[in-house]
Amino acid sequence: MVKLSHEAILKMAQCHSVSISGMDRKVVVELYRFMLRLRRCEEALIKEYHPADEMRCPIHFCIGQESVPAALSLLLEMEDYLFSHHRSHGYFLAKGPPMKLLFAELYGRETGANGGKAGSQDISMASANFYSGAILAGAMAIAVGVGLGIQLKCRPSVAVAGFGEGASDEGVFWEAINYAALRRLPVVFICENNLYATYSHQMKRQPADNISGRVAAFGVKSRTLFGNDVVAVYSAVAEAINHARNGHGPFFLETYTYRWNGHVGPEDDSHVSYRPKSEEEFWRANCPIALIEKEMVAAGLLTPEVRSAIIDEIDKEISEAFRFAKKSPFPSETDWIKLNYSTASPLADRLLCDSALPEFDQDQAETIPEPY
Amino acid sequence: MSSLNSENTNRKLTYAQAINEALSQAMGLSPDVIVLGQLVDYKPGVFGTTTGLVERYGSDRVQDFPVAESVMTFTGIGAALAGMRPVLVHQRLDFMMYSLDAIVNWLSLWRFKSNGQSSIPLTIRAIVGKGWGQGPQHSKSLHAWFAHLPGLRVAVPSTAYDAKGLLLESIFGEDPTIIIENRSLFSMTDLVPNIPYRVRFGHGTTRRTGTDITLVAIGMMVPVALRAAMQLAAESISVEVIDLRSVSPIDQNIIFDSVRKTKRLAVVDPGWQSVGVAAEVITLVCERLGDILATNPVRICLPDSHTPMSATLEAKYYSNDVSVANTIRTLFLR
Repeated sequence: MVKLSHEAILKMAQCHSVSISGMDRKVVVELYRFMLRLRRCEEALIKEYHPADEMRCPIHFCIGQESVPAALSLLLEMEDYLFSHHRSHGYFLAKGPPMKLLFAELYGRETGANGGKAGSQDISMASANFYSGAILAGAMAIAVGVGLGIQLKCRPSVAVAGFGEGASDEGVFWEAINYAALRRLPVVFICENNLYATYSHQMKRQPADNISGRVAAFGVKSRTLFGNDVVAVYSAVAEAINHARNGHGPFFLETYTYRWNGHVGPEDDSHVSYRPKSEEEFWRANCPIALIEKEMVAAGLLTPEVRSAIIDEIDKEISEAFRFAKKSPFPSETDWIKLNYSTASPLADRLLCDSALPEFDQDQAETIPEPY
Repeated sequence: MSSLNSENTNRKLTYAQAINEALSQAMGLSPDVIVLGQLVDYKPGVFGTTTGLVERYGSDRVQDFPVAESVMTFTGIGAALAGMRPVLVHQRLDFMMYSLDAIVNWLSLWRFKSNGQSSIPLTIRAIVGKGWGQGPQHSKSLHAWFAHLPGLRVAVPSTAYDAKGLLLESIFGEDPTIIIENRSLFSMTDLVPNIPYRVRFGHGTTRRTGTDITLVAIGMMVPVALRAAMQLAAESISVEVIDLRSVSPIDQNIIFDSVRKTKRLAVVDPGWQSVGVAAEVITLVCERLGDILATNPVRICLPDSHTPMSATLEAKYYSNDVSVANTIRTLFLR
């Protein structure tokens, strides 16, 4: 078998095929529905971004990368933790919070997921155990710490972290892999390898494109797969989560995929000339939604009527989310101390006493360290 | 909780023993408290501060961490998020620099960017060396850096009593905290109650009362300031010594109240002079009380230089009670 890589995938047949045979029909429909919902959500945001300029934050759109969030949306439990890269919308929706909280956050409103403090690239929802961040490897490293907490508290949860291949340029990525392997932590790492860090091609930054091979050297169970086959992604993520949940330690998935949009914002960044047209065309021809749609139609799972009913429902949710965001008030709290520090310490109040300060004897010699 | 006077016995403990007792009591009070750091589970126990913990609480809760300071801090953040109360130990603050991304880009802003939904009760202990040629990579006190960041609490305890109380307060508080410990204080003793007590952040204390000048001191400069005050008392200069205890937040009121009385201000800070905590304290006073000051305020800090190894230079680099007294004396010369 050819070792999977971006290069190998490009050499494959122009159109990859997806197999849904043996799959639970409900799962297939739900994967499709989620991907379509995410796609239309992103398309609607792109359409609204500039005319009004009311979303005043950097947004990294994830069109073309819908498979992993779709799989996670079906496989994560409420108590599981999910950490996202800056291309966060799919992960946010995968963990369950309503779309309108995302939209209100993008619009910088009080009702947003973070009251307009975070925006797209830093959005979180503590009640859903969902967190994100923009400085690449940090979020996956925090997921490792959550894994330690879960392990020490003997909880049946897992921590899942999604990141791009660019995160593995950063040193803490490898520290995190090492520590997760050392302690056999319940962490699932999902690398959405989309080949570019902003404009920079992976092979300009790394000596080989197969990150999972290097991770496997730490003794972490690893798999690579074609990331636009949502059925394969679903099965692999299910295997990885079960592995981690059942105490077998971390699992690393590398899904080869591609972002259709420019790195950030709705603008086309092809004027930078950092990726060949043929490559973009290949990946658009291998759209994760179109690939499964074809199989669903062939299997009688999807008729034009069913499809338009799904779209109607999604579009209704999207317009409701816009309405909610636009009519919500802007935040007004400017007590900066309160915004940055807690105002109470209930645990300290419960566990600690007050005590009288004794007099300190000032006439004591300083410690001179020993040679060590 | 009010103080448990009947069980409250004060014993003399060293600064290092007081830290050890705080950690041990915290781990006994809550199974969520864990200690992560290089060599924390060996007999020397990071200068005695973690000795015996692994025997009592096991190797899951007292972990010798890989020499990977960056992921150690991220691990602390994540573990706190999952409900733990982690304490990270850096034998040398200098090594902690590998975790600046974790501290600056994640830890300090976590509560803010989650809109108060989520906070990280993480405690980071960082030890600063002094003497025996610790040199430029084992002696930096970067409390001013950390105090500059919103979202963090930063303490520089000067006594065994404070070291225990601030550490317990930090472990069971809700905000991320960095505690800077001066190694030169580790063998100094103080009366330390055996109960788990708290010293609150942002509450300075008056270590010595006086009427002629307010001397604000931080960390290892507190005993130095007190000895300088003793010398000056013999010359009828009455020095009030205020121990800031925490540099974020700074107890402004205790400083203002003292300066209103003395009308003079000096600050002794174990950090570099430029853009430091001493400058911040003087600014606070000038903004509020500049018109009542009888003399220009003065900073007594480390020179704007890295620490020399050679003992003769080291002796000139650090201030001592004599040099502090000399500087203050000049304010009273006419």
